[in-house]
Amino acid sequence: MKRWIALIFLLIAVIMLAYIFQVPQPENIKPLGEFYLENSYFGDYSAKSPEVVTSILWDYRGIDTLFETAVFFLAIIGSLTIFRLTKEQEKEVKKEPTQVESLPLPIRTVTKVIVVMILAVSASIALHGHLTPGGGFQGGSALAVAPLLIIAAYSKYALEEHGLDKTRALILRSIGLLGIALVALVPLLSGGFIMQNQPIFPAEIGGQLISGSLIYYNLFEFLAVGAGFTAVFLLLSIPEEKFKKILGVKK
Amino acid sequence: MSVLFYIGALLIVIGGICDLFGALGLLKFPNFYVRLHAATVGTIGGAVVPLFGVALLALGADFLPHRYAIAGASFITGIIVLLAAPAGAHALAYAAHKAKLVEWKPKVDHLKEVRE
Repeated sequence: MKRWIALIFLLIAVIMLAYIFQVPQPENIKPLGEFYLENSYFGDYSAKSPEVVTSILWDYRGIDTLFETAVFFLAIIGSLTIFRLTKEQEKEVKKEPTQVESLPLPIRTVTKVIVVMILAVSASIALHGHLTPGGGFQGGSALAVAPLLIIAAYSKYALEEHGLDKTRALILRSIGLLGIALVALVPLLSGGFIMQNQPIFPAEIGGQLISGSLIYYNLFEFLAVGAGFTAVFLLLSIPEEKFKKILGVKK
Repeated sequence: MSVLFYIGALLIVIGGICDLFGALGLLKFPNFYVRLHAATVGTIGGAVVPLFGVALLALGADFLPHRYAIAGASFITGIIVLLAAPAGAHALAYAAHKAKLVEWKPKVDHLKEVRE
Protein backbone atom coordinates (compact mmCIF):
# COMPACT_ATOMS: atom_id res chain seq x y z
CA MET A 1 0.00 0.00 0.00
CA LYS A 2 2.88 2.35 0.85
CA ARG A 3 4.37 1.78 -2.59
CA TRP A 4 1.07 2.70 -4.21
CA ILE A 5 0.94 5.97 -2.28
CA ALA A 6 4.49 6.77 -3.35
CA LEU A 7 3.67 5.93 -6.98
CA ILE A 8 0.53 8.09 -7.01
CA PHE A 9 2.43 10.94 -5.33
CA LEU A 10 5.17 10.68 -7.97
CA LEU A 11 2.64 10.68 -10.81
CA ILE A 12 0.86 13.74 -9.43
CA ALA A 13 4.19 15.51 -8.94
CA VAL A 14 5.25 14.80 -12.53
CA ILE A 15 1.94 16.00 -13.96
CA MET A 16 1.99 19.13 -11.78
CA LEU A 17 5.57 19.94 -12.81
CA ALA A 18 4.73 19.40 -16.46
CA TYR A 19 1.72 21.72 -16.05
CA ILE A 20 3.69 24.44 -14.28
CA PHE A 21 6.82 24.40 -16.44
CA GLN A 22 5.19 24.40 -19.85
CA VAL A 23 7.61 24.64 -22.72
CA PRO A 24 6.98 27.98 -24.40
CA GLN A 25 5.61 27.62 -27.91
CA PRO A 26 7.97 29.19 -30.45
CA GLU A 27 6.26 31.99 -32.31
CA ASN A 28 8.84 32.28 -35.04
CA ILE A 29 12.03 30.50 -36.14
CA LYS A 30 15.13 31.48 -34.21
CA PRO A 31 17.77 33.36 -36.26
CA LEU A 32 20.29 30.50 -36.05
CA GLY A 33 17.72 27.94 -37.20
CA GLU A 34 16.71 30.22 -40.04
CA PHE A 35 20.33 30.56 -41.12
CA TYR A 36 20.81 26.79 -41.09
CA LEU A 37 17.60 26.17 -43.03
CA GLU A 38 18.38 28.78 -45.66
CA ASN A 39 22.00 27.80 -46.15
CA SER A 40 21.92 24.04 -45.79
CA TYR A 41 19.20 23.37 -48.33
CA PHE A 42 18.46 26.44 -50.43
CA GLY A 43 21.73 28.34 -50.45
CA ASP A 44 24.31 28.46 -53.24
CA TYR A 45 26.92 26.78 -51.05
CA SER A 46 24.61 24.05 -49.77
CA ALA A 47 24.77 20.32 -50.33
CA LYS A 48 21.15 20.36 -51.59
CA SER A 49 20.40 17.56 -49.15
CA PRO A 50 16.75 17.31 -48.10
CA GLU A 51 17.99 15.65 -44.90
CA VAL A 52 19.17 18.89 -43.33
CA VAL A 53 20.31 17.23 -40.10
CA THR A 54 22.98 15.24 -41.93
CA SER A 55 24.02 18.34 -43.78
CA ILE A 56 24.42 20.35 -40.56
CA LEU A 57 26.15 17.46 -38.82
CA TRP A 58 28.85 16.99 -41.44
CA ASP A 59 29.24 20.54 -42.70
CA TYR A 60 28.42 23.11 -40.05
CA ARG A 61 29.43 20.91 -37.13
CA GLY A 62 31.91 18.74 -39.02
CA ILE A 63 34.75 18.93 -36.51
CA ASP A 64 32.38 17.93 -33.72
CA THR A 65 31.25 14.89 -35.70
CA LEU A 66 34.82 14.03 -36.60
CA PHE A 67 35.75 13.89 -32.92
CA GLU A 68 32.63 11.87 -32.11
CA THR A 69 33.81 9.36 -34.68
CA ALA A 70 37.26 9.48 -33.12
CA VAL A 71 35.79 8.58 -29.72
CA PHE A 72 34.18 5.49 -31.24
CA PHE A 73 37.46 4.47 -32.86
CA LEU A 74 39.33 4.94 -29.60
CA ALA A 75 36.84 2.59 -27.96
CA ILE A 76 37.44 -0.02 -30.68
CA ILE A 77 41.22 0.42 -30.40
CA GLY A 78 40.94 0.03 -26.63
CA SER A 79 39.13 -3.29 -26.89
CA LEU A 80 41.57 -4.52 -29.52
CA THR A 81 44.42 -3.64 -27.17
CA ILE A 82 42.87 -5.56 -24.30
CA PHE A 83 42.52 -8.67 -26.47
CA ARG A 84 45.90 -8.37 -28.20
CA LEU A 85 47.62 -11.68 -29.03
CA THR A 86 50.92 -12.79 -30.49
CA LYS A 87 51.10 -14.48 -33.89
CA GLU A 88 51.16 -18.01 -32.45
CA GLN A 89 48.29 -17.22 -30.14
CA GLU A 90 46.30 -15.83 -33.09
CA LYS A 91 46.85 -19.12 -34.90
CA GLU A 92 45.79 -21.06 -31.83
CA VAL A 93 42.64 -18.99 -31.55
CA LYS A 94 41.80 -19.49 -35.22
CA LYS A 95 42.28 -23.27 -35.10
CA GLU A 96 38.89 -24.89 -35.35
CA PRO A 97 38.09 -27.51 -32.71
CA THR A 98 37.50 -30.98 -34.14
CA GLN A 99 33.77 -30.97 -33.63
CA VAL A 100 31.85 -27.76 -33.84
CA GLU A 101 28.24 -28.05 -32.84
CA SER A 102 25.88 -25.71 -34.56
CA LEU A 103 22.24 -24.95 -34.08
CA PRO A 104 19.49 -26.99 -35.79
CA LEU A 105 18.74 -26.59 -39.49
CA PRO A 106 15.71 -24.25 -39.34
CA ILE A 107 17.64 -21.65 -37.36
CA ARG A 108 20.57 -21.77 -39.76
CA THR A 109 18.33 -21.44 -42.82
CA VAL A 110 16.42 -18.48 -41.40
CA THR A 111 19.71 -16.86 -40.39
CA LYS A 112 20.93 -17.03 -43.99
CA VAL A 113 17.80 -15.26 -45.25
CA ILE A 114 17.86 -12.65 -42.49
CA VAL A 115 21.58 -11.92 -42.96
CA VAL A 116 21.04 -11.11 -46.64
CA MET A 117 18.13 -8.84 -45.70
CA ILE A 118 20.21 -7.08 -43.04
CA LEU A 119 23.01 -6.43 -45.53
CA ALA A 120 20.56 -4.89 -48.00
CA VAL A 121 18.79 -2.76 -45.39
CA SER A 122 22.02 -1.51 -43.82
CA ALA A 123 23.43 -0.50 -47.20
CA SER A 124 20.18 1.28 -47.95
CA ILE A 125 20.28 3.15 -44.61
CA ALA A 126 23.84 4.29 -45.25
CA LEU A 127 23.53 5.21 -48.92
CA HIS A 128 20.24 7.06 -48.39
CA GLY A 129 21.84 8.99 -45.54
CA HIS A 130 21.65 12.31 -47.39
CA LEU A 131 17.98 11.80 -48.35
CA THR A 132 16.32 10.13 -45.38
CA PRO A 133 17.00 9.95 -41.64
CA GLY A 134 19.82 7.55 -40.88
CA GLY A 135 23.32 7.63 -42.24
CA GLY A 136 26.71 6.06 -41.97
CA PHE A 137 26.82 5.27 -38.27
CA GLN A 138 23.31 3.82 -38.16
CA GLY A 139 23.89 1.82 -41.33
CA GLY A 140 27.20 0.52 -39.99
CA SER A 141 25.61 -0.54 -36.71
CA ALA A 142 22.93 -2.41 -38.66
CA LEU A 143 25.62 -4.00 -40.82
CA ALA A 144 27.44 -5.31 -37.74
CA VAL A 145 24.37 -7.33 -36.77
CA ALA A 146 24.92 -9.63 -39.77
CA PRO A 147 28.27 -11.11 -38.65
CA LEU A 148 26.92 -11.25 -35.10
CA LEU A 149 24.01 -13.41 -36.25
CA ILE A 150 26.37 -15.67 -38.20
CA ILE A 151 28.56 -16.06 -35.10
CA ALA A 152 25.50 -16.98 -33.05
CA ALA A 153 23.93 -19.42 -35.51
CA TYR A 154 27.07 -21.04 -36.94
CA SER A 155 30.31 -20.12 -35.21
CA LYS A 156 33.13 -17.65 -35.41
CA TYR A 157 35.09 -20.22 -37.42
CA ALA A 158 32.46 -20.18 -40.18
CA LEU A 159 33.05 -16.45 -40.57
CA GLU A 160 36.83 -16.82 -40.59
CA GLU A 161 36.75 -19.69 -43.11
CA HIS A 162 34.88 -17.46 -45.54
CA GLY A 163 37.53 -14.79 -45.34
CA LEU A 164 36.26 -12.29 -42.78
CA ASP A 165 38.82 -12.54 -40.01
CA LYS A 166 39.98 -9.88 -37.57
CA THR A 167 42.79 -8.59 -39.79
CA ARG A 168 40.50 -8.07 -42.77
CA ALA A 169 37.94 -6.31 -40.59
CA LEU A 170 40.67 -4.01 -39.29
CA ILE A 171 41.84 -3.27 -42.84
CA LEU A 172 38.27 -2.39 -43.89
CA ARG A 173 37.94 -0.18 -40.84
CA SER A 174 41.20 1.60 -41.65
CA ILE A 175 40.05 2.16 -45.24
CA GLY A 176 36.89 3.78 -43.89
CA LEU A 177 38.84 6.02 -41.51
CA LEU A 178 41.27 7.01 -44.23
CA GLY A 179 38.39 7.82 -46.55
CA ILE A 180 36.78 10.10 -43.98
CA ALA A 181 40.08 11.91 -43.36
CA LEU A 182 40.76 12.34 -47.09
CA VAL A 183 37.26 13.64 -47.84
CA ALA A 184 37.65 16.08 -44.95
CA LEU A 185 41.03 17.32 -46.23
CA VAL A 186 40.27 17.56 -49.97
CA PRO A 187 38.67 21.06 -49.74
CA LEU A 188 41.94 22.44 -48.32
CA LEU A 189 43.67 21.68 -51.63
CA SER A 190 41.32 23.87 -53.65
CA GLY A 191 41.39 26.82 -51.32
CA GLY A 192 38.45 25.95 -49.09
CA PHE A 193 38.22 25.21 -45.40
CA ILE A 194 38.47 21.81 -43.75
CA MET A 195 35.28 19.71 -44.14
CA GLN A 196 33.66 22.28 -46.40
CA ASN A 197 31.10 20.79 -48.73
CA GLN A 198 30.16 23.03 -51.64
CA PRO A 199 31.17 23.94 -54.28
CA ILE A 200 34.14 21.57 -54.18
CA PHE A 201 32.09 18.38 -54.36
CA PRO A 202 29.32 18.25 -56.98
CA ALA A 203 25.78 18.09 -55.60
CA GLU A 204 24.54 15.93 -58.46
CA ILE A 205 26.18 13.38 -60.71
CA GLY A 206 24.26 12.33 -63.80
CA GLY A 207 21.02 13.80 -62.49
CA GLN A 208 21.25 11.83 -59.26
CA LEU A 209 21.37 13.87 -56.07
CA ILE A 210 24.41 12.78 -54.08
CA SER A 211 24.72 15.92 -51.94
CA GLY A 212 28.41 16.62 -52.33
CA SER A 213 30.61 15.09 -49.68
CA LEU A 214 27.74 13.72 -47.59
CA ILE A 215 27.48 10.46 -49.53
CA TYR A 216 31.24 9.86 -49.24
CA TYR A 217 31.18 10.51 -45.52
CA ASN A 218 28.22 8.17 -45.09
CA LEU A 219 29.81 5.43 -47.19
CA PHE A 220 33.15 5.51 -45.37
CA GLU A 221 31.53 5.79 -41.95
CA PHE A 222 29.35 2.80 -42.86
CA LEU A 223 32.43 0.77 -43.72
CA ALA A 224 34.41 1.88 -40.69
CA VAL A 225 31.67 1.35 -38.10
CA GLY A 226 30.51 -1.99 -39.52
CA ALA A 227 34.03 -3.39 -39.75
CA GLY A 228 35.04 -2.01 -36.34
CA PHE A 229 32.10 -3.67 -34.62
CA THR A 230 32.78 -6.90 -36.52
CA ALA A 231 36.38 -6.96 -35.29
CA VAL A 232 35.24 -6.55 -31.69
CA PHE A 233 32.55 -9.24 -32.06
CA LEU A 234 35.14 -11.65 -33.51
CA LEU A 235 37.35 -11.02 -30.48
CA LEU A 236 34.51 -11.44 -28.03
CA SER A 237 33.49 -14.77 -29.57
CA ILE A 238 36.84 -16.42 -28.87
CA PRO A 239 36.02 -19.39 -26.60
CA GLU A 240 36.92 -18.92 -22.95
CA GLU A 241 38.91 -22.16 -22.79
CA LYS A 242 41.31 -20.92 -25.44
CA PHE A 243 41.96 -17.72 -23.55
CA LYS A 244 42.49 -19.69 -20.35
CA LYS A 245 44.96 -21.89 -22.21
CA ILE A 246 46.79 -18.86 -23.60
CA LEU A 247 46.92 -17.11 -20.26
CA GLY A 248 47.97 -20.30 -18.48
CA VAL A 249 45.12 -20.28 -16.01
CA LYS A 250 45.07 -23.41 -13.86
CA LYS A 251 41.72 -24.95 -13.20
CA MET B 1 -14.27 2.37 -46.61
CA SER B 2 -13.99 -1.02 -48.22
CA VAL B 3 -14.19 -4.52 -46.82
CA LEU B 4 -10.38 -4.58 -46.56
CA PHE B 5 -10.53 -1.77 -43.99
CA TYR B 6 -12.81 -3.77 -41.69
CA ILE B 7 -10.86 -7.02 -42.11
CA GLY B 8 -7.67 -5.13 -41.27
CA ALA B 9 -9.23 -3.56 -38.18
CA LEU B 10 -10.46 -7.00 -37.08
CA LEU B 11 -6.95 -8.45 -37.47
CA ILE B 12 -5.53 -5.64 -35.33
CA VAL B 13 -8.09 -6.41 -32.60
CA ILE B 14 -7.20 -10.11 -32.79
CA GLY B 15 -3.55 -9.08 -32.42
CA GLY B 16 -4.36 -7.13 -29.27
CA ILE B 17 -6.16 -10.13 -27.77
CA CYS B 18 -3.22 -12.41 -28.65
CA ASP B 19 -0.82 -9.97 -26.95
CA LEU B 20 -2.98 -9.99 -23.82
CA PHE B 21 -3.09 -13.81 -23.73
CA GLY B 22 0.65 -13.97 -24.39
CA ALA B 23 1.35 -11.63 -21.47
CA LEU B 24 -0.98 -13.57 -19.15
CA GLY B 25 0.66 -16.84 -20.17
CA LEU B 26 4.12 -15.43 -19.60
CA LEU B 27 3.12 -14.54 -16.05
CA LYS B 28 1.11 -17.62 -15.16
CA PHE B 29 2.58 -20.63 -17.00
CA PRO B 30 4.65 -23.04 -14.88
CA ASN B 31 7.94 -23.63 -16.73
CA PHE B 32 10.26 -22.24 -19.35
CA TYR B 33 9.02 -24.19 -22.36
CA VAL B 34 5.34 -23.40 -21.88
CA ARG B 35 6.20 -19.79 -21.19
CA LEU B 36 8.17 -19.75 -24.43
CA HIS B 37 5.01 -20.90 -26.15
CA ALA B 38 3.15 -17.95 -24.61
CA ALA B 39 5.87 -15.55 -25.74
CA THR B 40 5.61 -16.89 -29.29
CA VAL B 41 1.84 -16.38 -29.19
CA GLY B 42 2.72 -12.78 -28.32
CA THR B 43 5.08 -12.36 -31.27
CA ILE B 44 3.23 -14.24 -34.00
CA GLY B 45 -0.34 -13.47 -32.95
CA GLY B 46 0.46 -10.11 -31.43
CA ALA B 47 2.90 -8.70 -33.99
CA VAL B 48 2.53 -10.53 -37.30
CA VAL B 49 -1.28 -10.63 -37.44
CA PRO B 50 -1.72 -6.91 -36.62
CA LEU B 51 1.01 -6.01 -39.13
CA PHE B 52 -0.92 -7.84 -41.84
CA GLY B 53 -3.99 -6.09 -40.48
CA VAL B 54 -2.30 -2.69 -40.87
CA ALA B 55 -1.39 -3.61 -44.45
CA LEU B 56 -5.00 -4.48 -45.31
CA LEU B 57 -6.32 -1.44 -43.44
CA ALA B 58 -3.98 0.88 -45.33
CA LEU B 59 -5.02 -0.68 -48.64
CA GLY B 60 -8.67 -0.19 -47.76
CA ALA B 61 -8.34 3.41 -46.54
CA ASP B 62 -8.85 5.64 -49.59
CA PHE B 63 -8.20 8.87 -47.68
CA LEU B 64 -4.71 7.84 -46.52
CA PRO B 65 -1.71 9.37 -48.30
CA HIS B 66 1.11 6.93 -49.26
CA ARG B 67 -1.13 4.00 -48.45
CA TYR B 68 0.64 1.58 -50.79
CA ALA B 69 4.00 2.36 -49.14
CA ILE B 70 2.53 1.79 -45.68
CA ALA B 71 0.88 -1.47 -46.77
CA GLY B 72 4.06 -2.77 -48.42
CA ALA B 73 6.28 -1.91 -45.46
CA SER B 74 3.89 -3.53 -42.96
CA PHE B 75 3.54 -6.65 -45.08
CA ILE B 76 7.31 -7.09 -45.48
CA THR B 77 7.91 -6.46 -41.77
CA GLY B 78 5.23 -9.04 -40.95
CA ILE B 79 6.89 -11.63 -43.16
CA ILE B 80 10.30 -10.97 -41.60
CA VAL B 81 8.90 -11.35 -38.06
CA LEU B 82 7.05 -14.47 -39.20
CA LEU B 83 10.40 -15.93 -40.31
CA ALA B 84 12.54 -14.78 -37.42
CA ALA B 85 10.31 -15.36 -34.39
CA PRO B 86 9.98 -19.17 -34.70
CA ALA B 87 13.71 -19.48 -35.38
CA GLY B 88 14.48 -17.46 -32.25
CA ALA B 89 12.08 -19.50 -30.11
CA HIS B 90 13.53 -22.70 -31.55
CA ALA B 91 17.07 -21.58 -30.69
CA LEU B 92 16.05 -20.69 -27.12
CA ALA B 93 14.29 -24.01 -26.55
CA TYR B 94 17.19 -25.95 -28.08
CA ALA B 95 19.72 -24.14 -25.91
CA ALA B 96 17.70 -24.66 -22.72
CA HIS B 97 17.21 -28.35 -23.54
CA LYS B 98 20.90 -28.85 -24.32
CA ALA B 99 22.15 -27.03 -21.25
CA LYS B 100 19.73 -29.02 -19.03
CA LEU B 101 18.81 -25.85 -17.24
CA VAL B 102 15.10 -26.51 -17.05
CA GLU B 103 13.60 -29.38 -15.13
CA TRP B 104 10.66 -30.97 -16.86
CA LYS B 105 8.67 -34.15 -17.06
CA PRO B 106 8.01 -34.81 -20.74
CA LYS B 107 5.60 -37.31 -22.20
CA VAL B 108 7.52 -37.43 -25.50
CA ASP B 109 11.16 -36.34 -25.93
CA HIS B 110 12.05 -36.03 -29.59
CA LEU B 111 15.32 -34.26 -28.77
CA LYS B 112 16.61 -37.08 -26.60
CA GLU B 113 19.77 -37.62 -28.62
CA VAL B 114 20.74 -33.97 -28.13
CA ARG B 115 21.17 -34.47 -24.41
CA GLU B 116 23.71 -37.24 -24.71
